[in-house]
Amino acid sequence: MNWLITSLPLPYPEAVVAVGAAVIGLVAGALGPLAVLRGRSMFGDAMSHGTLPGVVLGFVVAGTKNLPLMLLGAGLTAALAALAVIGLERYAGSRPDVAIGVVLSAAFTTGIVLLTALAGTGNAGQSGLSDYLFGQPAGMVERDVVLTLVVGGSALLAVAVWFRVLRTAAFDPGFAAVAGVPRWAVEAASTVLLAVAIVLGVRTVGAVLMVALLVAPAVAARQLTTRLGALLTLSAAVGATSGASGALLAGRAELPAGPVIVLLATSAAVLAVLFAPRRGVLVRTRRPRAAGSTPRTPHDPGARSRVTGGAR
Amino acid sequence: MTSDDLVIVLTAGLLATSCGLLGTFLVLRGRALLPDAVSHAVLPGIVGVYLVTGGRDTIAMLLGATLFGVVCVLAFQALRRSGIVASDAAIALVFPALFSLGVLGVSQYTSGVHLDLDSTIYGELTFAPLRTLDLGGTQVPRSLLITGAAAVVVLAVVVLFWRPLVLTSFDPEFAEATGIRVRLVERGLLVLVAAVAVTAFESIGAILVVTFFVVPSATAQLVARRLDSMLGIAVAVGWVSALLGQRAAVRLDSSVAGSIGLAAVGLFVVALVFAPRRGLLWRRRGRVPRDSPTRRSGTSAGATARRG
Repeated sequence: MNWLITSLPLPYPEAVVAVGAAVIGLVAGALGPLAVLRGRSMFGDAMSHGTLPGVVLGFVVAGTKNLPLMLLGAGLTAALAALAVIGLERYAGSRPDVAIGVVLSAAFTTGIVLLTALAGTGNAGQSGLSDYLFGQPAGMVERDVVLTLVVGGSALLAVAVWFRVLRTAAFDPGFAAVAGVPRWAVEAASTVLLAVAIVLGVRTVGAVLMVALLVAPAVAARQLTTRLGALLTLSAAVGATSGASGALLAGRAELPAGPVIVLLATSAAVLAVLFAPRRGVLVRTRRPRAAGSTPRTPHDPGARSRVTGGAR
Repeated sequence: MTSDDLVIVLTAGLLATSCGLLGTFLVLRGRALLPDAVSHAVLPGIVGVYLVTGGRDTIAMLLGATLFGVVCVLAFQALRRSGIVASDAAIALVFPALFSLGVLGVSQYTSGVHLDLDSTIYGELTFAPLRTLDLGGTQVPRSLLITGAAAVVVLAVVVLFWRPLVLTSFDPEFAEATGIRVRLVERGLLVLVAAVAVTAFESIGAILVVTFFVVPSATAQLVARRLDSMLGIAVAVGWVSALLGQRAAVRLDSSVAGSIGLAAVGLFVVALVFAPRRGLLWRRRGRVPRDSPTRRSGTSAGATARRG
């Protein structure tokens, strides 16, 4: 770890932030396709908002800004948010958009009320908690980077080990079911993996915008390749690059890091959508037949979630 | 309860009225996340107008930011229809980016003046009684006036366009056949939602807008059997949460807008458990829910999403 940080041509604190943000971007980029390819991107949004109450509760339990405990809290409430969305859909008959809207609201209002109530108590240690809204990697130390690397690394390892199962489940759920892969297990595993990516990123990118770091690299990579292995690698690379450069840029310009990182990752996605060799907008408009291959719907279903991302 | 508290509750209640009325139609149409997208898109508009005019002149802000939000959403919908970006990833891609632009604009150019990150997150409901306008000799809180006007306009639109709104919400094909222009109704609704999101920004910030739109309407959907009662219940839930939330905020010394949102979430949970027919307690007894005002039963869209 240390050699990587010291080998960068940067002052030590900046190098730590750059490496940390790169690891976060890498993990989010590699795990984001789990949400995007399954048409679950907005579900990721509910989960990223869901980290906020956990961060604050973790702080309340620890009494200080203890990173592992706050991340543990964030992971628990993010998983709770995911369960709540699934529960509302399955047992209360809510449609996905309503379920996501309600859970996102519940998580965010709880977080805001806890945050402001805590600010009112005058506890000096709580200052800076609101950085978890829009991200601020500045206070990162080497130990945090190691923690991120260990947790994120195990998530990536899990993806590598179960790669074939995940691939089948993402692209051919029918075959996966026949082959005896229980859908709930895949569902649960990808939710946990997503929670890991979101929780690691919440400090650097913030609870409000974290979903974009999952989605943007995946969209960019999807434009460039059709093979899942290459897609995950590319997406991780895009995430790592935007994470590191965004965190550095934001630190130098004294801006909240989340928006800068998100805008960089989104620019990569927009460029890929426009100029990708086979699926880019430019290529498609030159060859109108290719564009016609996607089905047109007469009545735009708007915010309703669709699954075409994985099927195409 | 002081008169300042009363102004806060009234402002929040009026805002919840506009949001509840519009939100009910959005929830029925499967567009519950539209306010989320719109509130993300109007933020850069608000910052842009602020930078150009140098102030928060209400009319310019309302027109400029609404226009910007509507254009963004329409462009996005056109892009989606073209089939280039087709999944819900597009929503999660475009709107956080717009919101990021807004946040950067707020933190870079306007910090500390009248528009800062705190007001974007928490809203400024607490200051509602302090900013007054001179109206024929009496001092009227500005935000009360604005949210009141918005509530009246939304109510008038719902009453005047009742038939097209209802028909396009429940049966768009039939509405089309009877000569109603479904797309036009859709656009009108979008413009209204954007305008309400802009007026709401001053009171509750940019992030809690979706809470005010969705949660009371989702609560009403659990309880009501008819559209008119669903609208009434959504508005009532809004007012009750405004009152409960304001009281709780005073007690806890927390964000007023956040507490109101949390109170609405609490009411949703109560309805989720205890609602007749659709509540979890009734479902457990094995009764099949029916006659709830939904266009189609909740399973279809959820099932497709899961099948992915």
